[in-house]
Amino acid sequence: MIVAISSTGTSLESKVDPRFGRCPFFIIYNTDDDSFEHVENQARQAMGGAGIQTGQMIAGRGVKAVITGNVGPNAFRVLAAAGVKVYSGVSDQVSDAVQKLKAGELQGTSAPDVGSHFGTGGGGGNN
Amino acid sequence: MIISVASGKGGTGKTTVACNMALSVGYCQFMDYDVEAPNSSFFLKPDIKHIHKVTIKQPYFLRGTGADFSECASFCNYNAVAVVGDDVIFFPELCHGCGGCLLVGPEGAVRENDVIVGEVRKGVASPNIDYYMGDLKPGSMRTISIQGDMDKALNRDELVIIDCPPGTSCSMVFSVKDCDYCILVTEPTPYGLNDLKLSIEVLESMDKPFGVIINRNGIGDDQVEKFCKNSGIKILAMIPNKREIAEYYSRGDSLIEYDSSWKSRFEEIVKEIEKDIRK
Amino acid sequence: MKQITVISGKGGTGKTTVASNFVKMANDHIAVDCDVDAANLHILLDPKRISEEDFVGGPIAVLTGECINCGRCEEECRFEAISDSKSEIIIDPIRCEGCGVCIYVCPEDVLELKSEKQGTNFVSRTEFCTLVHARLIPGAENSGLLITRIRNKAEDIANEEDIKLIIIDGAPGIGCPVISSLNGVDATLIVTEPTLSAISDFKKVYEVAKIFDIKVFVCINKYDLNQINTREIEDFCQNNDIELIGKIPYDDQVSIFSFTEKICY
Repeated sequence: MIVAISSTGTSLESKVDPRFGRCPFFIIYNTDDDSFEHVENQARQAMGGAGIQTGQMIAGRGVKAVITGNVGPNAFRVLAAAGVKVYSGVSDQVSDAVQKLKAGELQGTSAPDVGSHFGTGGGGGNN
Repeated sequence: MIISVASGKGGTGKTTVACNMALSVGYCQFMDYDVEAPNSSFFLKPDIKHIHKVTIKQPYFLRGTGADFSECASFCNYNAVAVVGDDVIFFPELCHGCGGCLLVGPEGAVRENDVIVGEVRKGVASPNIDYYMGDLKPGSMRTISIQGDMDKALNRDELVIIDCPPGTSCSMVFSVKDCDYCILVTEPTPYGLNDLKLSIEVLESMDKPFGVIINRNGIGDDQVEKFCKNSGIKILAMIPNKREIAEYYSRGDSLIEYDSSWKSRFEEIVKEIEKDIRK
Repeated sequence: MKQITVISGKGGTGKTTVASNFVKMANDHIAVDCDVDAANLHILLDPKRISEEDFVGGPIAVLTGECINCGRCEEECRFEAISDSKSEIIIDPIRCEGCGVCIYVCPEDVLELKSEKQGTNFVSRTEFCTLVHARLIPGAENSGLLITRIRNKAEDIANEEDIKLIIIDGAPGIGCPVISSLNGVDATLIVTEPTLSAISDFKKVYEVAKIFDIKVFVCINKYDLNQINTREIEDFCQNNDIELIGKIPYDDQVSIFSFTEKICY
């Protein structure tokens, strides 16, 4: 399975970054063969909708699960639509987080984390 | 003649100056361009005759037709459209209403409707003031849309007084771009001086003549005064720092009500500005 | 790591005064000055610059070749940013929002989106903490975007150095700079004053804060200026379950130590 972990750096020793939409990197990890690569998160500098853009990028890579600190409602909506499972509230080193996932120790998140992000359709929405 | 009243720093007294100037000269068009936080109505107490809703056109997507909206998602520079699998998700607060979705999206599957981003209120205030006030809907980012709407009502044949938003970036620039003269209101403190210099940079880059009014004079030091004198910048007036003036302000009472001599002083300021522009 | 933004709606109510006092009294924190077009926090904090970076703003449309004056772009532009002279179109950079529609419709392919330097952002050391701040070129646009950049920077530093609190000095108003200053924070302190103007703006910015579903605190500066208006603010807070955490008298010599503690810890 392909997993994406929000990361402060480019290696497995990096800390999990608490931000999904605005982390600097993702570690894209294949739990089947333990291969991995890092990608820069281009969306992080967007003024609005960083999580939306990041979510689409992640979904487009065939990622099945995301490990991170916090996911806001916009990003969550995109990931849910893409069928990507979210494990939030994680703050270890990337390698430890992956091991925990493999060992079934991580709890899936079923709702966005507290603290709305802009663009959740509070007004003027039509669909 | 269009006079814009601006300031880098917020809370220096733009609205005080703009409103009292309008109350003094009467027979003017007053435009409150501080559409995010308009306050002039407390002092001018207008009788509002008409409220015009300002709208932008936003897309909606006809799903279930098998249409593919991924072009809309990749075109949008604001992340307002996301396509994941067969699903299209629209985020209205991020949408600028550029119309791109309609152009690049699948034919007939993208339509638009009007979405309210705020309003412009029009009325009259005594003495003989044509009053306009913009009001942005909280949560919207379309400050420029409201100001742009008000632009259309600007009447150059009259004296127009524009109460500008604070700052030195786009919404302030929009409020001064059409003026013949800009009054910069500041306070005699390090903040006031710092932000005055920034405002001056903006006006100079736009070739706009300007003068300064120092408000709450006495609260800080004489650095703003010295700076103006050394730079050859005209100080049009100095309003003293008095708690009583602040109390009047807090109730929506004008400076003229506190001290009626300000009526003729503001009339003089307008005459002086008219002369300066003619030069 | 927690983030708190100090806002006001109306300018001049005392945001920066309050924010700077927090900065002086808190521990284990970073300060961010998000009032980027009239930054004042650095005046109080005497920062020593460590690093700086260009801020390249959002792109706007520019003509890069021979325009045939067909008028298609002018027709399609929703922001009235395009007009024409005798020979070619003129793009107004103040009105252009960089949407890309004109680029898409141009039959000659002579329009492009280009970004330019719009300011600089800085990381500085102060006596109290690291300060992340910026200077927007006066007249430039994209304050919201610049705020996003400096906040990203502050969060990166907080992550690297394991810092627990980010104190953000916000911008006046309720538009995109304020929205960029509130996105993703844990709490906001609205500094208001008992004047009709400030009360009106307080209620508007409170509406914006509600959209974010973050914890709202309020403090009333110059509370003794108008007791009736102060009462109105207190009632509004009570009716809306907003925590009113402090009142500062109309006086420069004031201690706000009491509610600094309450917010930061």
